[in-house]
Amino acid sequence: MTDQKDRITEAEAIEQAKQGHEAAFEVLYHLHKRRVYSLCLRMVSNPAQAEDLAQEAFLQLFRKIGTFRGESAFSTWLHRMTVNVVLMQLRKKGLPVVSLEETLEADDEAPRKEFGTRDVKLTGSIDRLQLQRAIDRLPPGYRTVFVLHDVEGFEHNEIAQIVGCSIGNSKSQLHKARLKLRDYLKFMRAEKAKTG
Amino acid sequence: MTCSEVQRILPEFLGSAPDGALQTDFQTHLKSCPDCSDLLSDLTFIASEARQLTASEEPPARVWVRIAAELRAEGLIREPESVPVRPILVPTSPRRRWSALWLAPVAAAVLAAGAYVINHQPASPVAKQQVASTAVPAPAATQTAVANPTPVTPAPVSTPAPQQLAQKSTPPSLNAVRPAVEPEPSAEDRQFLSVVSTRAPSMRATYENQLQAVNADIRETQAYVNRYPGDADARQHLMDAYQQKALLYQIALDRIQ
Repeated sequence: MTDQKDRITEAEAIEQAKQGHEAAFEVLYHLHKRRVYSLCLRMVSNPAQAEDLAQEAFLQLFRKIGTFRGESAFSTWLHRMTVNVVLMQLRKKGLPVVSLEETLEADDEAPRKEFGTRDVKLTGSIDRLQLQRAIDRLPPGYRTVFVLHDVEGFEHNEIAQIVGCSIGNSKSQLHKARLKLRDYLKFMRAEKAKTG
Repeated sequence: MTCSEVQRILPEFLGSAPDGALQTDFQTHLKSCPDCSDLLSDLTFIASEARQLTASEEPPARVWVRIAAELRAEGLIREPESVPVRPILVPTSPRRRWSALWLAPVAAAVLAAGAYVINHQPASPVAKQQVASTAVPAPAATQTAVANPTPVTPAPVSTPAPQQLAQKSTPPSLNAVRPAVEPEPSAEDRQFLSVVSTRAPSMRATYENQLQAVNADIRETQAYVNRYPGDADARQHLMDAYQQKALLYQIALDRIQ
């Protein structure tokens, strides 16, 4: 980054971007690119799609930046916009934004507790890459709620509003997503132990 | 309280603490049931680790190049009024005309060189010595490379798991092979920088940053491909990086002509 970009604040960049200054657009992009791209990547688990979605999110942001009045934090505005871009894409592809499994799964599919042998706790035994891979394996609906809540920090009422489900459904999806992740992570740890 | 009851209230408990009596029963059960205790511990751990994934990925440099190109195409980027505007449609000197025309064949050469480098990597898990310069090779350099292929040195490396390259932007293993020192810019890069130096300061800075970023991407990916020559994802990513550089040259050309 140049000295000029280092000196400019986000608020100044927003005002200059409204005037069409390229450097200001770039400042805003660099300030938020990691979070926007990471969010897209977590939700679609495909780097090429994530690039396209991040690009679309920023383009929408820059097209609408003239309407930003500062009532909410700029980052909140951008991240909400990004989530909407991703969800729109998921819907276009016919993927469930909220998992249908809750209604489709029989009771015996529900998470079970296994008795007899105790497994070692996950704490300290998994790294970021393993968690990332496990998230990639989640069904899209579970993944959406998990990423929005546990990774991005949205509240259940916000998720319910964004994806169009009930708060209870959001909580339930999140819990099931965590349980599935736990299973995946334990499986991955066991596989890793086998292969040495 | 039974294990089933604990599992039923667990989603609520993870979000916010249950009321007093329920809380007491819950805690009592956890103390006497290691399975439920481990379950709670694991789920809490997963939730806390997930927060570390926020903003953990760096998008490739091409994302900004595409955004900037689209913003220009839509007329959303406007040059600051204080910056003197040059009559850029008509080159002001033979030197500038040559500089602009130079970009088109170089952009094509970048792609050709990228394709050559990638297609001539061995498909077996035998590492090749690192290509001398990971900055964009000039056409002449490419021809030299064809005539004098780089000697092959076996190295005891294993092929990484496919998922390792799933995060194309900055695979963790790329960091391990990242060159410590920035190489000198190639002759083409110096010429490119010379051409864009005639642009407004903000524009020039953008081009410089993009060139630096895409060169870094090429260097890192090239080093990775050298280490894991059988990795198709890495080779594709390298080709993408070369295309990205060609696109950068092309955008500069479009802006100057």
